[in-house]
This record gives sequence, structure tokens and C-alpha cells, in this order.
Amino acid sequence: MRPPSLLKQEFLKKWIMGLQRCSSTKKNMNILERKKAIKLSADVAMASSRNGTTCWSRALIANASKDGNDKHLVEQILGPESERLIVKKVSIGALVCNKRIRSKKILKRSCGIRRTRKCVPQVALASSIAKWLVRKRTQVLKSLIPGGEFMNEVCLIKETLDYIISLRAQVDVMRSLASASEQVNHS
Amino acid sequence: MSSRRSRQSTSGVSRISDDQIIELVSKLRQLLPEIRDRPSNTVSASKVLQETCNYIRSLHTKVDDLSERLSQLLATIDADSEQAAIVRSLIM
Repeated sequence: MRPPSLLKQEFLKKWIMGLQRCSSTKKNMNILERKKAIKLSADVAMASSRNGTTCWSRALIANASKDGNDKHLVEQILGPESERLIVKKVSIGALVCNKRIRSKKILKRSCGIRRTRKCVPQVALASSIAKWLVRKRTQVLKSLIPGGEFMNEVCLIKETLDYIISLRAQVDVMRSLASASEQVNHS
Repeated sequence: MSSRRSRQSTSGVSRISDDQIIELVSKLRQLLPEIRDRPSNTVSASKVLQETCNYIRSLHTKVDDLSERLSQLLATIDADSEQAAIVRSLIM
């Protein structure tokens, strides 16, 4: 895994470039438009720093490019790389990894849930509630990760790991820039 | 689901070992601020998933708030100062 500082530097560079490209094409945006451009370019910069190697990053760029107006913005932000990174006419499901795994039991086993040998009613109820909770929360997680609804369990966990690391880098860089700008503004 | 089993035999893809899954889940737990310090046998799978979802949602909210902050900053920045010009050229 690359050191976080490198990831942040790359994100910052791409984000700033993307923002400058956005503003050069459209002057005088209102606050909402500018907020959208800032957020979109941050997300696209975060995804493009993965260079198409992860499912979530491809899905994020694909989702952002779906809407006609946004697609133009995404192409602006990505610049010369847009040809390579925006996948055309392919369903998002096909972008996601296809490994098959056995079952959700593996996830539960890894978290140390004890298996019951006897099928006592209260214990059976507890274990079926646990299964239901895992299933429900997995669905929620799939809705949060871009492209998650097409992933199997293992892919989902790997993608979640990478996505969380990227999100943290994104938040750190954005926060630093916001504080620095506010300090400049007050001085 | 029985259909998944029959598909698995024809897919020809290598199986994921339990150890790999355990390793992935423990890496995930390390990232989550709420549960990283608890020993692994006290945290259930559903708890890990719940904390993961909460954490991702909080990160999304932070990104949204920061975007708003930056956008408002640019709107209120004093247009004449030199520092403002620096920030403007940097951000937009």
C-alpha cells in the first residue's frame, strides 16, 4: 500500500488541476454550482488517482459521467485522461470483479462468532437474527460503496478498505486547504 | 442459494481461503476508530459492518461540509487583497 502522504499529494494535484479546468470554462458560478464543482472534482480526483485499478473508482467515474451535464464536467476535470478512464457503453456490473465465493458464513466465521452444535430454540433464534443482521448490513454497505451492488463479499471488503483509505486522504487534504484558506482570508 | 454452488464448480476461479478473509476483516477493523482497540472475539460481523457503514457515512458528510465551506469561502473572500488572489488562483 502506498504511503498516505503520496496519495494525498497526488489527490491534491489532480483536484487543483480539475478545479482550475472547471473554472476556466465557466466563470461566475453561484455558491451551489461552485460547491458541486468542488465536490465533483474532489471525488473524480480521488477516483482517478487509483488509475482504474479498483472497482469503486471505475464505478464512481462511470456514475458521475452518466448525467449529460455532469459528464462534460467530468471530462473537463480528467482532461487528457478522460478517454482512458471514462468507460463507454459498458454496464457497471461488467466493470466489477467476478470472483465467486462460497457463502456469507466465511465473513461471520472470521469475526469469531461461535457456532452452536445443538439447535436449541433460543440459540437458533439468536443465530438467525445474527445472520439477518449481517445480510441487512451488507446490503447497506453495498449501497455506500460505488458499484457495490455488483460485488461479491470478498470484493466488497477489499474495495471498502481501499475506499475508506482514499476517503480519509480526501477529507484530510480538503480540510487542510479549507483551514489554510480561512487563515489567509483572516490575516 | 443452491444455484450459487453449481455456478462455482464451472467458474474455475481460485477459492479464497478463510485466512485471507480473516486478514481482510482485521485490516478493516484497524481502520474503524470505534472498534479497533477491542479484541477480535468480542466484535461480531454485524458490528464490524455497522461501524464500517457509519464511518463511511460520516466521511461522506465531512466531504460535503468541506465542499460547502470552501465554496462559501470563495464567495466571501475579499476581492482586493493579495492573499485573496493567491487563494483564488489556487482553488479556482
